Amino acid sequence: MYRKFLRLTKSLTVSFEKLVNFVTTQEHNPLYFHGALPLYTFWFLIFSGILLWMYYIPTLDRAWSSVNYISALPTPGDPINLAAGIPYGAVVRGIHRWGAAAMMIVTLLHMFRVYFTDRHRAWRWLPWVTGVGLLVFVLFVGLSGYLLVWDARAYYIVVATQHLFDGVPVIGAALSSFLVGGEGITDYTLTRFLFFHVGGAVAIFFLVWMHFIRLKEPVVTPSRATNFLLLGFILLAAGTLPAINITHELLAKYGHDPRIAAQAAYIASDAPAQIGTLVETIRYDAWYMFPYWLIQNVGTTWTWLILGGSTLLLCVAPFYPKDRRANIAEVVEAKCTGCTFCSLDCPFEAITMVDRAPGSKFKQIAVVQAARCSECGICVGACPFQAIELPELHSKTLEADLLALVKKGA
Amino acid sequence: MSDPKRTVIGFVCERSLPVERMLDEHKTLLDDPDTKFVVVPCSGMVKPTLLEAALANGADATFVCGCAIGDCHYRTGNLMIRERLEGKRNPKLRKTTDRRKVGMFFVTMKDRVAFLEALAAFKAGLDAPPAQED
Ligand code: HEM
Ligand code: SF4
Ligand code: SF4
Repeated sequence: MYRKFLRLTKSLTVSFEKLVNFVTTQEHNPLYFHGALPLYTFWFLIFSGILLWMYYIPTLDRAWSSVNYISALPTPGDPINLAAGIPYGAVVRGIHRWGAAAMMIVTLLHMFRVYFTDRHRAWRWLPWVTGVGLLVFVLFVGLSGYLLVWDARAYYIVVATQHLFDGVPVIGAALSSFLVGGEGITDYTLTRFLFFHVGGAVAIFFLVWMHFIRLKEPVVTPSRATNFLLLGFILLAAGTLPAINITHELLAKYGHDPRIAAQAAYIASDAPAQIGTLVETIRYDAWYMFPYWLIQNVGTTWTWLILGGSTLLLCVAPFYPKDRRANIAEVVEAKCTGCTFCSLDCPFEAITMVDRAPGSKFKQIAVVQAARCSECGICVGACPFQAIELPELHSKTLEADLLALVKKGA
Repeated sequence: MSDPKRTVIGFVCERSLPVERMLDEHKTLLDDPDTKFVVVPCSGMVKPTLLEAALANGADATFVCGCAIGDCHYRTGNLMIRERLEGKRNPKLRKTTDRRKVGMFFVTMKDRVAFLEALAAFKAGLDAPPAQED
């Protein structure tokens, strides 16, 4: 059943990608750069994030206004923002904000692509499981980003998260005060949120490194055409919909001013947070705030069960269904010269070169780590000495098949 | 068609073309009895010497068929064989091998028709005069 499902998803994915190949050719199909896309998007977030960080003030009374200062469209004489703001600050913030949405989209695309084409199982468990970690951290970093704005929505998220933590047995209260950095919300709370946001991004880098440990030469840059396409999308979104803090209240008060009214569509954040006052309706960001949608609609217990259960399912996914693994590459000791070709070409880092006993004819020998081997035979293609073989498809068999076919044709 | 009878031997990755639906029990291509397949788990398993052996033993042409570039199930197999046949990666195809007789196709499992067209073009090209090497 499950195998059939995987076959069907693969078939559909390949058909869809074949259509894209018509337009882009194989070499530029963005879907073939599914792993590189999140990494590429992440660079946008890092660089725009650093620019925002230069002006951000992590205190309760200045955070919102510092974000708004960054992002105010430079409209001289504006009654609301006397300071003109940072030139193009709204665009930089837009890159960071819409880039964050893009990050989640391309990460999910990558994940589903890997899953649908059956590239997540067996020897690939490590990239998959670290990938689940990456997904969790992308979510965490995105959410902590929304806290930094310190608007009414950010305050709501803090309260809802504390509520969620309070439901945890034994350590609930400790988690809750860990979140805000003490008994209540203080300036330290925002310093902590900034740490979560930046520290989480650093953790993503670390996880990406782990993600790549068993992948030889991971494809980390999309094709140039794909690069320009994604760059174009993000810049277009940031340029046409700059993220600024025009609030509903400001709109109600100054909405008659055509300059303000013209920006009504750009609402990106709410009014400054007021501790103790919860907004009644919160605007959910589809990519990052679904946990809060869950909290509000199904309650904290179900939220824990749904989030925890789906993470657990994702973590065990690579181990089912189990395949018969009988064709793992084997080295013929007498023939191996230690030339390293096989270990250079193995796509899953399954071959290590090990020193031979002193006095041996050759210095090193190739050793296959069975659990990492994909049974692909690329090492067989790489070895000039027929010293590494797939047990169920020996080079000799391959050659015999070949000669038989030539003979039949002649 | 008045094509002369030839023997073409292809090394085909089992994940690229739907081989089980394209071959008879003699590993002969249903749509083209001249062409026979040796099925491999990944095109990256093919050593250039295998292609050379096919030609040396009487095949008129030989080729490798792997997954679409960018979509190798084992990540890099199709890139490796392409580089080997282009002489950019060891072990390389011998310089003296007639390149016109060595084909490369990179297709998805849904590209059966496109593959047959490309194969026909490849076979037609066998009659072309040798390319000027510089
Ligand atoms: C920040 C997010 C992520 C980044 C930057 C990233 C990046 C990459 C890159 C560059 C590759 C190598 C592709 C190749 O060369 O074949 C890769 C492979 C892989 N990724 Fe991710 N990834 C991310 C998230 C995820 C997630 C969320 C999952 C799944 C839960 C995942 C699962 C995998 C798997 C299983 C592979 C191996 C695919 C193969 O062997 O063909 N990744 N990733
Ligand atoms: S068959 Fe060879 S190249 Fe392929 S994963 Fe195993 S050891 Fe690596
Ligand atoms: S390519 Fe062959 S000879 Fe060279 S190290 Fe690997 S197994 Fe040994």
